[in-house]
Amino acid sequence: MVDPAKNLSVEIYSDRMVTVLVMFSIFWSVVGMLAGVYAAAQLIWPVLNFDLPWLSFGRLRTFHTNVVIFGFGVSALMGTAYYSVQRTCHVRLFSPNLAWFTCWAWQIAILIGGLSLLAGYNTSKEYAELEWPLDIAITLVWVCFGIVFFGTIAKRKIKQIYISNWFYGALIIVIAMLHIVNNLEVPVTLTKSYSLYAGAQDAIVQWWYGHNAVGFLLTGGFLGMMYYFLPKQAERPIWSYKLSIVAFWAFTYSYIWAGPHHLHFNAIPDWVQNLGMLMSIILLAPSWASMINGIMTVSTAWEKLRTDPALKFIVLALAFYGLATFEGPMLAIKSVNIISHFTEWTVGHVHSGALGWNALITFGTFYFLVPRLVGAKLYSVRLANIHFWLALAGTILYIVALWGAGVSQGVLWLSLDELGELRYSFTEVMAAMNPYYLLRFIAGLIFLIGALLMYYNFFKTIIGRRTIAVRPPVIAEAVA
Amino acid sequence: MAYFIFIGDMLVMAFMIGVVIWVSMKSSDKSTSEAARIPLEDEDIDG
Repeated sequence: MVDPAKNLSVEIYSDRMVTVLVMFSIFWSVVGMLAGVYAAAQLIWPVLNFDLPWLSFGRLRTFHTNVVIFGFGVSALMGTAYYSVQRTCHVRLFSPNLAWFTCWAWQIAILIGGLSLLAGYNTSKEYAELEWPLDIAITLVWVCFGIVFFGTIAKRKIKQIYISNWFYGALIIVIAMLHIVNNLEVPVTLTKSYSLYAGAQDAIVQWWYGHNAVGFLLTGGFLGMMYYFLPKQAERPIWSYKLSIVAFWAFTYSYIWAGPHHLHFNAIPDWVQNLGMLMSIILLAPSWASMINGIMTVSTAWEKLRTDPALKFIVLALAFYGLATFEGPMLAIKSVNIISHFTEWTVGHVHSGALGWNALITFGTFYFLVPRLVGAKLYSVRLANIHFWLALAGTILYIVALWGAGVSQGVLWLSLDELGELRYSFTEVMAAMNPYYLLRFIAGLIFLIGALLMYYNFFKTIIGRRTIAVRPPVIAEAVA
Repeated sequence: MAYFIFIGDMLVMAFMIGVVIWVSMKSSDKSTSEAARIPLEDEDIDG
């Protein structure tokens, strides 16, 4: 037993780097979304690349995905992990200096990485495009992130390891494993390397990485965020704690097998494709277990949805999480995939998760977090409500536009004439995409405008203020 | 290879079932209730 008097120490949580990470996350989201909207505009008006190589669609699209996932997403995950692990362990961060190092080193890596992509340095592996020196730098920062996180858990003052920490922990361990294995490469020069794998093996390793980066970073990491910040915001414990534990293990077990569904009808063994399809369908159960757990937690606090914009964002994010995690397994079924593969439907699916789930739960969390970090009220609840409706409109329009585009593409590509030849040329199918691309551009613009309102709201909330001091609570029954 | 994958799959499935049984049997309602309340009682704001 721990002497309760020990809890009366002057130890305070290390929250300043959380504020900095939240600010960087917001900064990268502006940059990344702006690049995405501009790239979407180029699909309608190709002249917008102005014949500048660094502004061409290929480079800008890669810049967009890297900045939003690793700049916006990981900064948010790092910040919220640092915030919640201290509180759920009732201790200050293990080595705050190392945490500050991870905070700044990560931003420098994103800056240099983004510029290198615009300059044309690219390994050609999706979501793993950065060249080998940056891969090593990212590994070092990530290991330090792990040391801070698990070091904090190791010195915790309460017995249980709260469920959000299991998800954040899985994020740290699995992403390290995926990143190292997929980026094993032979350097040729400082800016060029070749993958250690070749052909079909390279593809299988790449999509083992690619799908599980979606799984353990964009899904698992953000579930960690949800399991901590939803109960905080709803002021209720999670509906079923046991279900959350079962969902965690089922999620961890089933996600890791699903990658081959990215390679349906490609030159990999058929049984590998079928295994990927089967495990993707099984994945629906743990995904929806967490979604149901979240919705049921709010079900006794519906009245708060009228007044609380943060909770509205989080609940809407859960709805889109349910949608995206239903659509994913359906797209993994081979008879559906034969239409959807390589079409805009996949891009729409990714964005139903990226905008609807990742961005909205992060926005909801930030609406909760930013005022608390600086000890102030949100500058404008009305602006936050406007942002909510713009985010909802933008996300739905984006998904619907790319459903239309994707199904049209798939069906047109598969159309054969009476001689069994392709009925439509690639150019004709591309021309048919124009209305959908325009809708997608408008949707992205709406979403970006909403996000800009949030940034203004936060700027007015925190201007002239400092991060406040927060202590662990005094709980007599705390056990070591 | 298919048998290797199948046996591995079954072993991991057995682990999963073990986890579910362990969670159901080992953890008491009191301890899960305490764990679930962790985020609700985790800070003392100075202002």
